[in-house]
Amino acid sequence: MSEGAVEIKDLVKTYVDDRGRPTFTAVKNINLHIDNGEFMVLVGPSGCGKSTTLRMIAGLEKITAGSISIGGRVVNDMEPKDRGIAMVFQNYALYPHMTIYNNMAFGLQLAKKKKDFISDTVGRTAKALGLNQMLERKPQALSGGQRQRVALGRAIVRSPIVFLFDEPLSNLDAKMRVQMRSEISRLHGQLGSTMIYVTHDQVEAMTMGDRICVMRDGLIMQVADPLTLYRQPANLFVAGFIGSPPMNLLRGKIYRKDGGLAFTENSEKNALTVPLAGPIQDLANRYVDKEVVFGVRPEHLSEEVKNGSHVTLKSTVDIAEPMGSESLVYLKAGTGNLIARIAGEHLFHMGQEVAVQLNMDKIHLFDVETEEVVH
Amino acid sequence: MTTVQTPRKEESQTGTVRKRLTPTQKIAIRKVLAHAFLIGFIILVLVPFIMVISASFRKGNFAPSELIPDKISLEHWKFVLGIPYQEVVNPATGETRIVKAATPPLLWFWNSIKVSFIASAGIIFLSGSAAYGFARLYFKFRSATLGTLLILQMFPMVLALVAFYVILDFTGQYIPWLGLNTQPGLIMIYLGGISSYIWMIKGYFETIPPSMEESARIDGATQFQTFIRILLPISAPIFAVVFILAFIGYMSEYPVASVVLQSSDNWTLAVGANSFLYEQEKLWGRFSALAVLSGVPITVIFLLCQRFIVGGLVSGGVKE
Ligand SMILES: Nc1ncnc2c1ncn2[C@@H]1O[C@H](COP(=O)(O)OP(=O)(O)O)[C@@H](O)[C@H]1O
Ligand SMILES: [Mg+2]
Repeated sequence: MSEGAVEIKDLVKTYVDDRGRPTFTAVKNINLHIDNGEFMVLVGPSGCGKSTTLRMIAGLEKITAGSISIGGRVVNDMEPKDRGIAMVFQNYALYPHMTIYNNMAFGLQLAKKKKDFISDTVGRTAKALGLNQMLERKPQALSGGQRQRVALGRAIVRSPIVFLFDEPLSNLDAKMRVQMRSEISRLHGQLGSTMIYVTHDQVEAMTMGDRICVMRDGLIMQVADPLTLYRQPANLFVAGFIGSPPMNLLRGKIYRKDGGLAFTENSEKNALTVPLAGPIQDLANRYVDKEVVFGVRPEHLSEEVKNGSHVTLKSTVDIAEPMGSESLVYLKAGTGNLIARIAGEHLFHMGQEVAVQLNMDKIHLFDVETEEVVH
Repeated sequence: MTTVQTPRKEESQTGTVRKRLTPTQKIAIRKVLAHAFLIGFIILVLVPFIMVISASFRKGNFAPSELIPDKISLEHWKFVLGIPYQEVVNPATGETRIVKAATPPLLWFWNSIKVSFIASAGIIFLSGSAAYGFARLYFKFRSATLGTLLILQMFPMVLALVAFYVILDFTGQYIPWLGLNTQPGLIMIYLGGISSYIWMIKGYFETIPPSMEESARIDGATQFQTFIRILLPISAPIFAVVFILAFIGYMSEYPVASVVLQSSDNWTLAVGANSFLYEQEKLWGRFSALAVLSGVPITVIFLLCQRFIVGGLVSGGVKE
């Protein structure tokens, strides 16, 4: 069944002013396929065009060029209510003058559904969301989490084919956010509907998405499942955006040394030098005497050698953040600043000398010009 | 921020042996001053009001002098309410006559309420829908039109008196009930003064996050349903304010009404009241009684609208 599949083709959005003159192109020709029942997360820094894309899918924003299909039907000129979608907004967007019941029933009432059907649907949904005690209250009398749950319920009662979420958790406090996160994931499991979820928070993206679409400046940088995105970032942007703390990215040159290859950071003196070992050498071969960006995730700097090829780096501790079972250690190796996630209940102190093992199997090299990963 | 000056330190610096006030005393002094100011202000507001009331109960038609009239008389109120009363014409002979208004002032009162109410309701309707257009729809010359409205509202209505006269004279030739000396004609002119209200309501609409209406649109509401069922109820406070302001304004509007309405049975209260102020003799008593009377509907409207002007009607729907 593909009734909930969403197909975005060559989609462009250029905002115009009152007189119809173009002001800003927020989405620049994107292509994206979302499977029926998939949980797709659009993630990217603020202003990258995520909301614009979502609002075009919803039908709240006119499409400048390209097409959007839902379930095989092109919906470009369709009213939002006919698209089979429901949307949850960041600011809840409840109707403040209506009771919770009416907030949830509004869409069904407009669709002229039978009274019994409405009260049954709303009642059941409210119960599932733990809102059945509050149906006669106004939104004002609810907490933030409850309000967002009403917004969720309002979306559910429309039984849409595609759920759209625009940063629904951003206005909640941290604890509520984590709770609602799992609630939405559970909902996805129960309903099996397609969900498109916009967030700027990469943790939310990683924990919730079947697949994640990373956007930047109106373009898609990479679409992949969370692990692929983490392990094989397609470019510098994704490498830097996904992961917390972010990947260590050092700019430098590959050159020949002692019959092998080495990476040296760009610096006048005392530059960090990493002799290359393992499979990375084949890639590096193409970049001899050329500039590259060298990337390694914090957890691939460790104290003890695991299997695979390793290179030992001498470094001193700059700052350490003990987190209990592991520590985030900010290291200085030559001129290079590296963050290491070191497992174990250690305490590090400033100025301490540490010999870290750099796992050479987990290195990424990026082309400086194209910013693409070298592979 | 780190050093806190203690009173003792200050004393030793200045070398005076002034008695320091404790914080409680300071607050007490501030309270007294604030109350004195407020009481003075209230007196400033109330005295003219009381003078008008007292003038309406004073015998004879003198400009108000002392606040409490020495001779209380109901003659002005009787006149205004259309109750005939006896008046002594010549004190020497004791000759009296029955006084009764040619046109009952209560008719003017009723005219005023009618005109003000219909005009204010029309204002709400027109400026509300216009403001919706300006706040939520995008069309050519939107900002130019808005700017023009803003500039136009800066000219007082009185400046266009001649134009109003000509317009009504013209419409009256084709639609008699909408011409000069008709109340619908006056209402039509009054409805022209909506630009400042458009700005007010538009400003309010713009504080309402569009996501609420977008939500309704996804729920399947048409633009009109969204306006009627979402935006209007949420905007009740501003409509109440606009209604009150418009109503007060039209209850007391004189220049336009005096030009448009010529026969005394069409007059509004303001025109009627002014008719007692002849060049030779200003009948302050009757004038004052009418002025007090005109405050009644305003008060009623205000009390009725007040419950809509509660803050926080929007709150809860969205989180900023
Ligand atoms: N109505 C508009 N007119 C002009 N530019 C807009 C409009 N709405 C959004 N933009 C711009 O488009 C870009 C993308 O916006 P948006 O999709 O909301 O970003 P985000 O990824 O943070 O959700 C931003 O730079 C924003 O300034
Ligand atoms: Mg956004």
